[in-house]
Amino acid sequence: MSDTLTRSPGRSDRPAVRPPRAAGLLNRSPAVRVAIKRVLQAVPVVWGATFITFCLMNLLPGNAAVALLGDDATPEQVAALSARLNLDEPFLVRYLQWLGNALTGDLGNSLQNNEPVTAILGRALPVSLELVVLAFALALLVAVPTAVVAAKRPGGFADRIGMQISMFGLSVPNFVFALVLVLVFAVGLRVLPAVGYVPIGQGLGPNLRAMILPATAIAFALFCEYTRVLRADIVDQMLREDYITTARAKGVGSWQVLVRHALRNSVFSLLTIVGLQFGALIGSTVIIEQMFGLPGMGQGLLQGINNRDIPVVQAYVVVMACFVVGANLVTDLLYAVLDPRIRHGRPAA
Amino acid sequence: MTTQIQPDAAARTGDPDAPLLTIENLEVTFRTRDAPVHAVRGVDLTVYAGQTLAVIGESGSGKTVTSRAVMGLLPRTASVRGSIRLGDRQMVGLGEKELRKCLGREVGMIFQDPARSLNPTMRIGSQLTEAIRVHLPLDRRQARERAVELLAMVRLPAPARRFHEYPHQLSGGMRQRVMIAIALACQPRLLIADEATTALDVTTQAQIMDLLLDLQQRFAMGLVLISHDMGLAASYADQVAVMYAGRVVERAPTREMIAHVRMPYTRALLDATPRLERPPHAPLPVISGRPPDLRALDPGCAFAPRCSRVRERCRQERPELAEHQPRHEWACFFPCADDTIPGEDER
Repeated sequence: MSDTLTRSPGRSDRPAVRPPRAAGLLNRSPAVRVAIKRVLQAVPVVWGATFITFCLMNLLPGNAAVALLGDDATPEQVAALSARLNLDEPFLVRYLQWLGNALTGDLGNSLQNNEPVTAILGRALPVSLELVVLAFALALLVAVPTAVVAAKRPGGFADRIGMQISMFGLSVPNFVFALVLVLVFAVGLRVLPAVGYVPIGQGLGPNLRAMILPATAIAFALFCEYTRVLRADIVDQMLREDYITTARAKGVGSWQVLVRHALRNSVFSLLTIVGLQFGALIGSTVIIEQMFGLPGMGQGLLQGINNRDIPVVQAYVVVMACFVVGANLVTDLLYAVLDPRIRHGRPAA
Repeated sequence: MTTQIQPDAAARTGDPDAPLLTIENLEVTFRTRDAPVHAVRGVDLTVYAGQTLAVIGESGSGKTVTSRAVMGLLPRTASVRGSIRLGDRQMVGLGEKELRKCLGREVGMIFQDPARSLNPTMRIGSQLTEAIRVHLPLDRRQARERAVELLAMVRLPAPARRFHEYPHQLSGGMRQRVMIAIALACQPRLLIADEATTALDVTTQAQIMDLLLDLQQRFAMGLVLISHDMGLAASYADQVAVMYAGRVVERAPTREMIAHVRMPYTRALLDATPRLERPPHAPLPVISGRPPDLRALDPGCAFAPRCSRVRERCRQERPELAEHQPRHEWACFFPCADDTIPGEDER
């Protein structure tokens, strides 16, 4: 402030002092800037998640030694095993040990069976990832056309049917819907397996046959939500935006106006929720994985918690936190790809 | 470069003296939750090739609704009655497919805010070629050529480069030039400019108007200027129609209108235009009161509550628009005399 006050008017035409060029890394293209920012933000997020999880695991009654030895073990046996598993060290010491190892890339071994945690993750992550990706792909594949058809005539027949279905879908929990799917396709029609997992290694066909029911069960609620959000956004655009009127005044057909102009500008709100949910959904599909006997992350996490297997739980938490941050990063980058105003470094209007 | 854009519009109209656009007894009503809004109440307008008609009025006078009715761009809640003939085609009740063939081809339109009337996520070029290829049987490359030519025609600097740019990379004036290029992409015979220069600064405004008039002459187009700005009408239009509360209240050739204003509302509009001749800081005359509620109009003249010349008859009976002098129509029982200055002739 004093600078402005004391500056003599004669010197005001002097060029302003340039900011130091040390910020060179952040002066790159907006996409790089976003990526760097997100990765830097990821550090406290992932660290915080692991610390809180570690605290919570310690607050739970019992420890891995109790879980391993069962209810009949004597206190001496438990104490001995606890000492062997390093569980008798103070809480903070154990956390720092874990953190130090994790930073060097060593996530430790399972307390339950001494298997490296990375190996456990390596088995579970692909299953969950495939399940979630498949669910999102299915949901979007159906939601986008449904939303477009519904938005073509707001209040019309297709719109009302679509909105009824999606309201229904939002109010039914996915495990209920999963049971219906199993009843119809596995028990009734006998076309798909009710439980079991087939790795992709044994052929894409059998793998997809095993995954399609659980993926559909998860996809249904997502589909309903996306349809509603996208439809509302398109209808809003069609009513309010001047460029829609411009397109109509060109003589462009109403479907083309909807798809080329309205849908294109409506994907942003959809993208935002997809990004948020994608990160959150990895590992939170416990119930569906249990129902369909899929050896995914949800199942692994549940077992880890029951066994008080801190290294396993911690590793899952790290992966899940990374996915949340990663999904946000991809969302931000997609924004830049889809919106030229962001790509060229200007804020969207 | 081959010039595809030829001034052939005049050749396309069979009879050069036949009106391009004839609006007769147009009525537009909007359904709303409470009472229906009767936005346009029996409007007659005629536009000839090569002629500029200015439709002037304040917000809610029905000028924009009238222009949207011509384009069939009113929302579903609107019901349109009366007749809108574009050439010899009746636009009222036209099916969607037929309407689409007309829009862009027979009649083009530009809008108030060029920042909003272009799609922010599409390149200028695609928005322009879209307008071309909807109507003309050109392939991608030919459409591109024509698009660049159109951009040059609206005097956009570096048209070939602009083709690949996005709207946000252009200034307001340049965006409006792009809008003009889009509207003229298929050489319509009629161009409707709805407050096309309102959002622009004064110098840009003049450039855009000069460009519009220039193109109008070149292609012998009919031009409808929708505006609230009497000054703009006075400088650029051949004919002025003043609208109030959904009706035309005065209409005359521009020169006649400016020299012999009859309708007190027009007088007030003219007086509310800032002028350089006035001494600085002189209070600008304003029209007191607000435009009437179109849901419930009194039986008398709609302007009566705000009129300085109002008498008892004005509140009881509505004056019809009539040609009281050759080519000069007005709707007023007690029109202004030639040198009337409002406020000085009060009883």
